[in-house]
Amino acid sequence: MSGEALRHFVLYELQLVALSIFVLLYAVKIWQLARLSAPRELPPARGNLTRAVASSYATVLLPWRMESTRKSWGHWLAFMLYHLGIFVAITATFTIPFVPGVMTASVRWISAVSVLCAFLAGLFKLGWRVLRPEMRLISTPDDYFSLIALQIWFVVAIPAILLEAPRWLLAYFIITALLLIYVPLSKISHYVYWFFSRYLFGMRYGRRGVA
Amino acid sequence: MSELLTQARQELDKRYNRMVALTASNLCAHCGLCMDSCHYYVATKKPELTPVAKVERVRSVYKRQHDWLSRLLPAWTGARELTETELEAWRDIAFQYCTMCERCVINCPLAVDTPAIMQAARGTLTAVGMAPEILEQLADAAIEREKSLDLFKDILVEQYGEMEKELQEKTGDPSARIPVEKEGAEMLYVALSGAHTILPAAEVFHRAGADWTLSLFEASNYAVFLGDMPRAKAIAARIVNEAKRLQVKEVVITECGHAFASYHWSAPSWFGPLPFRIRSILEVLSDYVEQGRIRLDPTANPEPITFHDSCNMARKGGVVEEPRVVLRAATQDFREMIPQGANSFCCGAGSGLVAIEEWTETRLAAGQPKAEQIRASGAKVVVTSCDNCRHQINDLSERYDLGVEVLNLAEVTARALV
Repeated sequence: MSGEALRHFVLYELQLVALSIFVLLYAVKIWQLARLSAPRELPPARGNLTRAVASSYATVLLPWRMESTRKSWGHWLAFMLYHLGIFVAITATFTIPFVPGVMTASVRWISAVSVLCAFLAGLFKLGWRVLRPEMRLISTPDDYFSLIALQIWFVVAIPAILLEAPRWLLAYFIITALLLIYVPLSKISHYVYWFFSRYLFGMRYGRRGVA
Repeated sequence: MSELLTQARQELDKRYNRMVALTASNLCAHCGLCMDSCHYYVATKKPELTPVAKVERVRSVYKRQHDWLSRLLPAWTGARELTETELEAWRDIAFQYCTMCERCVINCPLAVDTPAIMQAARGTLTAVGMAPEILEQLADAAIEREKSLDLFKDILVEQYGEMEKELQEKTGDPSARIPVEKEGAEMLYVALSGAHTILPAAEVFHRAGADWTLSLFEASNYAVFLGDMPRAKAIAARIVNEAKRLQVKEVVITECGHAFASYHWSAPSWFGPLPFRIRSILEVLSDYVEQGRIRLDPTANPEPITFHDSCNMARKGGVVEEPRVVLRAATQDFREMIPQGANSFCCGAGSGLVAIEEWTETRLAAGQPKAEQIRASGAKVVVTSCDNCRHQINDLSERYDLGVEVLNLAEVTARALV
């Protein structure tokens, strides 16, 4: 396979296959959840449910809302930078092959800096997990692997986004494809389940008038 | 596989509803931010007592059964097989080291519902005969009381008669009554066995001119702590049936956290729409103050007073402002603990722990954050609207040398009646 053909395969066909597997796995998982019975509460709500659900989602952006983030601004900042970097790195896997015109020099730089910040936040998270006995006790190989895999992805993403050098691009897109297949099976899935749990949280505590 | 494990696995599966499945999935990112929300961990700093470490013991078994990767590579995700040793560990985790106070839930960025899993564990342990015996006995005794009502009804009525004389002395009104089985009364008041949940409330009802009747049953429902919903429903049915028979317009639950949560929030789901509403006495007292049905003299309670929010009343029940309305009217120096309301620390006695003698040391140690909050408030009186919290705070006062008096809201209100 020629270099150009390999590049095309990795940036397009491989990504689409991985993305299809990703979507299929989540579709099955969500279907499995949806078919289970759900506990119901009949008494009239004491609070406004719509506002409570909106507030529940907003909590993540408002660190003073929760005692856990209010007391740990460092963790909240690391969380924001980390997830922002992931979002940017994922977005780049679409913009580079499909809308390359978007990737101007300034967009490349901003994206690369975001991913670098995510990498640094990842180091902080890794250190927290390794150094605290409480964290070591609850950490599984999946936790360490997921963190390290994303760190490697960030490292590869920075030069790939910034320079679009062929080898870095290939590595970046191959790792992306592997992650797309691994993520639905791993703890990284929390970002999908989060949408459901925050909704249910808003409904429950909104019903009680405390959210 | 032993019969015990087969049965435990079946019971776990029965409780695998959408909420449990979501919590048992990869929702938890193991970020550890829940640590400092748990009074057990704050008090002891033991890594195994963080909410995530505790719930993971149960969640890992669910993962082994339901999560794809955990079924394939259990060691990779920390998934565990259900064993008898694991069940023994769950008994401690679910009944001794978690009061299901939900403080970790409201402080979790991902809103992981740890108590949903703990409740599944409790229910499973109860079903296989591994729950604390005293909780079983208390739940059974409540059901037995209904079956043998004729045996002790006369004794109860006699006791209430004695209390009625005391009420008449306190109010100086010989017409003051503690009515029992009064058909068509507006309100059925469900108290606990202690006179402190009956007399002060009766005094306030009398002064407010309430049309009420006292339930023959106590409010507490220990089957809720066992995670045994059929039994919890049977216990609740006693009061639902009594209220229907007497054709009351509302059922008012005394100052008992779990009773309020189970009657107000769960009973309509268990029995369908009910022909009466269910409220806490805190809401009733607050209404009396706001509607001017009772007048209170705050100088009757001059000492610094603070309020401990029961987890079931506040965080899980939504009754946060009502007791404060009453306290601001009935006391001269009301001061809040920090944090309070929905974010209040559990006192350490919740979910039946206070009834289990062998775990007294655990609950007193776990109550240390609450003791420190009380000390920091400078209060001489702690008001709380849950009998388990009341018992615990009395014990904490002794253990941590707080020197506080513990009262319920009706007592403080009755003291201030003009």
